[in-house]
Amino acid sequence: MAKRVSDENLTFIEHLARWINWPRFLLAITLFFFLTGILFPFYWMVSSSFKSYQEIGGTEPVYIPSALRLDAYRELFDPSHPRFQEFGENVLNSVRVAVPTAIIAVILSTLGAYAVARFHFRGKEAMLNSILIIYLFPGILLIIPIFAMLSQVATRLGFSVQDNLPVLIFTYLAQTLPVALYMLANYFRTIPGEIEDAALIDGCSRLEVIWRVTLPLSIPALVSVAIYTFMIAWNEFLYAFIFLNNNDLFTMPIKINAIFNSPSFRPHVVMAASTVMTVPVVILFLSLERFLQEGLTAGGVKG
Amino acid sequence: MAERNVASRSSRGGLSLQQKEARLAWLLVSPTAIIVFGLVLFPALFSIWISFHDVGLQNLGNVLEADFVGIQNYRQVVTDFAFRFRGPRDWGAAVNSVVFSFASTILTLLLGLIAALVLNQRFPARGAARAVFLFPYVAPIVSVAFVWKWILDPRPAGVLNDILMGLGLIQRPIAYLATRGLAMALVIIFEGWRYFPFAMLMILARLQAIEETLYEVATVAGATMWQKFWYVTLPGLRYVLGSIFLLRLMWTFNKFDDIWLLTGGGYGTNVLPVLTYQFSFQSYDFGKGAANAMILLLILVVCLAVYVTVMMRDTGEV
Repeated sequence: MAKRVSDENLTFIEHLARWINWPRFLLAITLFFFLTGILFPFYWMVSSSFKSYQEIGGTEPVYIPSALRLDAYRELFDPSHPRFQEFGENVLNSVRVAVPTAIIAVILSTLGAYAVARFHFRGKEAMLNSILIIYLFPGILLIIPIFAMLSQVATRLGFSVQDNLPVLIFTYLAQTLPVALYMLANYFRTIPGEIEDAALIDGCSRLEVIWRVTLPLSIPALVSVAIYTFMIAWNEFLYAFIFLNNNDLFTMPIKINAIFNSPSFRPHVVMAASTVMTVPVVILFLSLERFLQEGLTAGGVKG
Repeated sequence: MAERNVASRSSRGGLSLQQKEARLAWLLVSPTAIIVFGLVLFPALFSIWISFHDVGLQNLGNVLEADFVGIQNYRQVVTDFAFRFRGPRDWGAAVNSVVFSFASTILTLLLGLIAALVLNQRFPARGAARAVFLFPYVAPIVSVAFVWKWILDPRPAGVLNDILMGLGLIQRPIAYLATRGLAMALVIIFEGWRYFPFAMLMILARLQAIEETLYEVATVAGATMWQKFWYVTLPGLRYVLGSIFLLRLMWTFNKFDDIWLLTGGGYGTNVLPVLTYQFSFQSYDFGKGAANAMILLLILVVCLAVYVTVMMRDTGEV
């Protein structure tokens, strides 16, 4: 009893002194180090995006913007701004590429993964192994032959390789489908075959079984595949950088690169555009984190 | 699972059902297979062909008629001043690539291990900390690369310059990404910063699978914290650390975006993927670019082979 009274009379410092020990101290220091290192760049990105041109170009950095100025965002989105960047169009282009990539990847990898998980067929192992080799090839190695090959096809069929968003979608599909197929096949294997057998005996066709039995049970895996492919397409730089020359078709990463490398000094606009590109992925990620566990480790955001 | 399915069904419907299923399987796989073959496997083989031919902008629309030039492209690459090792002050892209990839991978692994050990402890708001730890890996590469560039701004008004000068650690502003040596160190640190969450996630999953009884036994035997880490945790993590190392080494070796966005390959940071881009899309010599990419692949395979051999010898397992 007497001891409890003395506990309540301790000051904060005394509490701390009693609580702290070497492992806890080490943990706190490491945690502080990591959190600062991670959060500061993100803080700097968002805060810089709200600075005025004067605050950006001054002789000293401004750590906290004096007000939430929307100069940079107006330059990106407001048509009446003298340096209007038409960034809205770039956001749309990114959506136009990332959404179809995600949808098509989910559909195609579902079909493929189902076959891999449930059926035996000749060449399955060979196909799976050859798909794995993709991990070894750098994007930059593939882009030269893809470029040469597609130019060949394009001249025959009368379309253009450059500035063609569907071409971009196909290259993203090629990069993401193997991993998506692996993730889904692993998941499908965890669904007991008996459930499907029962539906088959009831007279459902295979595709009906996939649609009515397998897919509803696989929502978490489907969501993680969708997010994974969406993020790859949303973030992708190299292929878009090479395939897109027309300002109107730039996806966000390419446009941001163009603003950054333009002769005029506009870091606040670059940071505003980066914020616009980053916030949706981070929100998407945070809200669906529990689904993404496997996607992040199994697939890795390759690249 | 699949085997059992096939067995049960073939007893019901016989061979024809099995054949029907195989046909359905191929039908289901074919869209993926066609896209992946057409845009990955075939191009990979095609790039070998290109590397032996004189392909430039002039014959891009008609590649198959390009002149065969034997190993001329390869000879041009290995004698190129940007590729070759030219003394300790100018390593060239080949040596840079090896140093950059190994250093980045080791740093990624170390940071990932520390982060995983921290997140494996109990503390308030651990879930939130875990989510924050994943930010660098989830955010788009262009955003984070440009934020880093902006933080490393060479003017006195650059944040890092301001902080370091304020602390009295440096006398005058530094052009971080435009100083040989320092630029290389910084791109390596950037890689560690961006990719440690990947290692962290995989290590964390493994940590949670190590049996609690092993730690209890160690505690009873009077092991210190350090001894527990060395004799229980680390052996349990050996395989996962090995596989993360392999994957990250491969991906880092092939990485173009990070260095391109941070330094453009300047100031002693040029690596083979960036050099491939420069040959192909700045001098428009696709043959030379493809030859460079093939050499990249060759060096990568050699590195992987050496790593695997050394690892197996170390752990005494074949």
